[in-house]
Amino acid sequence: MLGHAARVPCVNAGAPDIGEAAVAGSGFPVVVLAAAILAAEQVSGVLVGSAALWLRGEPVSVGDVDVVIEPGEANLRRLHEALCGLAVRSEAVPAVHRLREISVATVFSSYGRVDCMLERGRRDWEQLRAGAGYVPVADVGVLVASAADARALRARFRNG
Amino acid sequence: MGQRSGVGVVELAILEVLDARRARPHGRAVQCEKVLAALEDEMGLDRKYAWQVLIDLTQSWKLPVPLVDGIGNFGSRGNDPPASPRYSEARLSPAGQLALAAERGQIAPVPIGMINGNTHRDGLRPPFRPATVIDAIRQVLDRPRLSGSLITGIVGPPDFITGCTVTGDLAALNAGQHAELGLHARVTVTDTAHVRDREMKAANPGQRQVVLSFRTGLGPPGAAPPLLGASSRQDPSRPVIVIDKFPPYANTDETIRSIADRAEGRDWHSRHPELGALTRLPIRNLADRTTSRGGYWFTCEPADGTPPEVLRDQLLKVHGVSIYITTRLPRPLPAMIRTWIRANQHEDLPGSLTALETSLASRRQKLVAAEY
Repeated sequence: MLGHAARVPCVNAGAPDIGEAAVAGSGFPVVVLAAAILAAEQVSGVLVGSAALWLRGEPVSVGDVDVVIEPGEANLRRLHEALCGLAVRSEAVPAVHRLREISVATVFSSYGRVDCMLERGRRDWEQLRAGAGYVPVADVGVLVASAADARALRARFRNG
Repeated sequence: MGQRSGVGVVELAILEVLDARRARPHGRAVQCEKVLAALEDEMGLDRKYAWQVLIDLTQSWKLPVPLVDGIGNFGSRGNDPPASPRYSEARLSPAGQLALAAERGQIAPVPIGMINGNTHRDGLRPPFRPATVIDAIRQVLDRPRLSGSLITGIVGPPDFITGCTVTGDLAALNAGQHAELGLHARVTVTDTAHVRDREMKAANPGQRQVVLSFRTGLGPPGAAPPLLGASSRQDPSRPVIVIDKFPPYANTDETIRSIADRAEGRDWHSRHPELGALTRLPIRNLADRTTSRGGYWFTCEPADGTPPEVLRDQLLKVHGVSIYITTRLPRPLPAMIRTWIRANQHEDLPGSLTALETSLASRRQKLVAAEY
């Protein structure tokens, strides 16, 4: 059991099944599939934020996915290609040379919002990677930060 | 925000500028560039910001109580951007004029802010149906001890002008707590004959409809991209899925692009078949059938062997077909209504409510004619 989907009850008559729309067929929040696709595209990154906490079994609502990206030329190239396939507007995906410089690359996909945290990767990759473990999402292993690391990062962002 | 209308300060400033230039309902409109210049000169409002607010006020699919009538191109629900403010004009709508009158004390307060909410500007308060809010206020005026549950029952769930379905923890919202709301397009399983029928009704006499089609990876090799391809023409009972009544804040062009992309094959599908099955949409053909008269709607033909209900459920999970917003009312809904009445109890609230209803009458007629 990987976690627990927050069920969204339907409030409108005539649409009895729509409340399940936030959840993919296997019980994942839909946006978590975006992280699985990045992993399937062989992008090296650690999932943090609410999606990581959800996959670690915490009862949080998942609005987007935050992925700390491993710094490294080959990985940034894979990331660029993966984001071009994932983003609704591929022209909005930063070029590889921009990915080396910017802090966060945000793309909107058909699964929801994906934040690629590049600066965090440049600073804390080794530490985050050390505490992370693989969690299966469908038939893909997604590298997920430890609950403690995910909570600590979240607190750091919320406290500025 | 304005105490007597609930309309935001910047919105009210725009209404003031329009009124000062006599751009009133059914009268002459004023060039938007002049409105922006006046807002900058008189209030120091940044033109770019003021223009975005003015655009929001004119986009008919965003506000239940429209405050401004826009004349010209104020953008579409897709990627078509508004024209330059040099080439568009604006004037007060009847409800906009009413909001100004309420702010000036010429009539009793009107609950426009309570109805419109502010989610259209990334705020937390969702819109409600005008008629039910007005009805709830009238009932509390008649029976001040009306229970909170009856008041929330009368107001009903948040209501978006496009007719999208709203899901979420309504009890939490009504209690003044944070609530994630899902806004979902209508996704209907129907058949080719129904689609043809709808196209015929939407077609303007003498005007050819342009259908933007996407050839998806799952169609047979060499198949014609339009939805109603050879197989559909032969079989009017072939299942088709119609998507319409989109959430107001979804970009329809990006939504259809998302659906088309999800129908394509990816290199990793063979390595991760389970993820592929969860993410790939089994679509044979997809078409954007949007017209000015028929509104925004897409059609999808399921791939051979795919039960249409399965595709319907998958489509509902595509961002744009469904979107999620965070909402919170400043206080519980019944308390909002009661507080508003208490603050204005010595004024002629029944009169201003009737005036608001009247100002929305023409809007209702337009909504009946328009499809979102």
